[in-house]
Amino acid sequence: MAHGTHAKTLPADLSAPAFVDAWQRRALIIGAVFSIIAVVLAFLGQAQDGLGWMHFLRAWLHGLMMTFGFAVGGLAVLMLQYCSGGKWGLLLRRPLEAMSRTLPLVFLYWIPLAFTQGKLFMWANHGIVDQDFSLGLITREQVEAIDHCIAWKHAMLNPTMFVVVSVLCFLIWGWYTWRLTSLGLKRDSDSPANTPWWIKKMENISGPGLVVYSLTMTAAAIYWVMSLDVTWYSSVYGLLYLVGQGYLVLAFSIIIAIRLAQGEPFKTILRQTEQHDLGKMTFAFVMLNIYLAFAQFLIIWSGNLPEEINWYLDRIHGHWGVIITLDFLFHWLIPFTLLLSRDIKRNKKRLVRVCQWMIFARAFDLFWLIEPNFKDAARNLHFSWGILEYAALPVAMIAFWFAFFCNRLKTRPLVQINDPHTAEILEPEHATA
Amino acid sequence: MPPREGTYGLLAEFETPSDLVRAARQAREDGWRRLDCYSPYPLEEAAEAIGFHRNKVPLITLIGGLMGVAAMFLLETWISTLAYPVNIAGRPLYSWPAFIVPAYEWTILWAGLSAAFGMLALNGLPALYHPLFNAPNFRDGATTDKFFLCLEALDPKFDLIEARKYLEGLDPVSVVEVEY
Repeated sequence: MAHGTHAKTLPADLSAPAFVDAWQRRALIIGAVFSIIAVVLAFLGQAQDGLGWMHFLRAWLHGLMMTFGFAVGGLAVLMLQYCSGGKWGLLLRRPLEAMSRTLPLVFLYWIPLAFTQGKLFMWANHGIVDQDFSLGLITREQVEAIDHCIAWKHAMLNPTMFVVVSVLCFLIWGWYTWRLTSLGLKRDSDSPANTPWWIKKMENISGPGLVVYSLTMTAAAIYWVMSLDVTWYSSVYGLLYLVGQGYLVLAFSIIIAIRLAQGEPFKTILRQTEQHDLGKMTFAFVMLNIYLAFAQFLIIWSGNLPEEINWYLDRIHGHWGVIITLDFLFHWLIPFTLLLSRDIKRNKKRLVRVCQWMIFARAFDLFWLIEPNFKDAARNLHFSWGILEYAALPVAMIAFWFAFFCNRLKTRPLVQINDPHTAEILEPEHATA
Repeated sequence: MPPREGTYGLLAEFETPSDLVRAARQAREDGWRRLDCYSPYPLEEAAEAIGFHRNKVPLITLIGGLMGVAAMFLLETWISTLAYPVNIAGRPLYSWPAFIVPAYEWTILWAGLSAAFGMLALNGLPALYHPLFNAPNFRDGATTDKFFLCLEALDPKFDLIEARKYLEGLDPVSVVEVEY
């Protein structure tokens, strides 16, 4: 461990190291390759069971939810660290800003969803219900229940409201992103004497911002995913996605911080203390994630009501039990047991491995949340070329997103100067309690 | 046990944590093994500098936690399936989702208690007497703003004159001899 009696000094050049360009190139290549695979799979699936392009759309929704998690989750953690303070926040500030500034790409990803509502959502196109019934995928009683729910929820679940609410959410996230990131630059060009004022200013924007975020986030999760099953509802659903975003964003941030530390300026400012702190916080999100997921399950299992329990039965019966068991192992047990270890949290290489695993686990969890909504897959997990879309299209979408993220990362210095934490993070690790 | 007599060790006082870490590292490198650091707050680097080895508290905590989860889960299973089998809303007698919450609580409880008592059992606390408190500067400063390195007399290298000379070479604020 580096040790000196004197504080380190920041390098003169705070811009992103040159290897970020290489990351970007690699991401673009991966994105292109997986896009081709995704299109091939769609054709194969179409030839096999006529659902190839349907699976393409579903996987698109999956990729949208993942990149949306990175972008808007990044914005949320950015606001969180402005409110909470702490040196981990200073460390991650610019990567988080870069994540939140990828929102335009997420909006682009969302646009196809707005035009294909009629293919995905029963409330947007009754033909889906009729077709599922004629194929014998749902019973007469289920059709009645669905029709009842569609009529009951019509004021909220209709194509116009879907677009209005989604665009409104994007505008709100966009405003917060623009406000926080542009003020972040202004703060650095201002005199250090004004820093206390800036800290308050950022806090005052971020505090209410977090409340607004949780509301808009919930709305988006309900419209984009939960409403795929019109009959079901859960009040913890938005929160579940919120915690999932924290889980995803922290894992991603740790990887980025450690990888960026292969070059300046992160080499100077990444200390083991903050790495350990981030590991601990990620551990907390692993706990919170399973806490909410299990709480929702326990409540619905205890109630055992016909309106609610089917959502779980769709996701347990017909071989889905294998997926939910793996999901439990992947996104809770494995990260939980690994992150318990102090050594792993303090080891750069191993912590990166755990975090990469967590990103995969979140994607696996989303697969379990999304695919069984569709009646051809509910209680009937079966292999088709189409289902492999989930392993192709989201990879391509995330790769393109990552390339855009690298581009955003390069546009500004990687360390905020006008912050009292900047001096502290340069001190040797034992200097503060 | 008869009261120990003679010199417990030599205590060097430092003004800053950096000085302490530097001195501790040097002493360890020069072959001192019976030595300890004292600081008002935990200093990871000082612990590393004197070759702090792992203790068994994490293992005790893990075993405690596993015992807690096993005990409660088995207790609930026994109650629900064998001791008092009651039909609750037509659910199976072995309804494991309902057992998770108490089993989880017991994991935390047992792990927490094992950590606390395991720590006390292994570190020798509570101690009613420690010779270092005989040194006035230690008494006044060890829990507020002073940093100490103590070379203990049990070290085979220890010789009162040589050790004092050695410590003074590490540039401390003061070196005092501590009696049992």
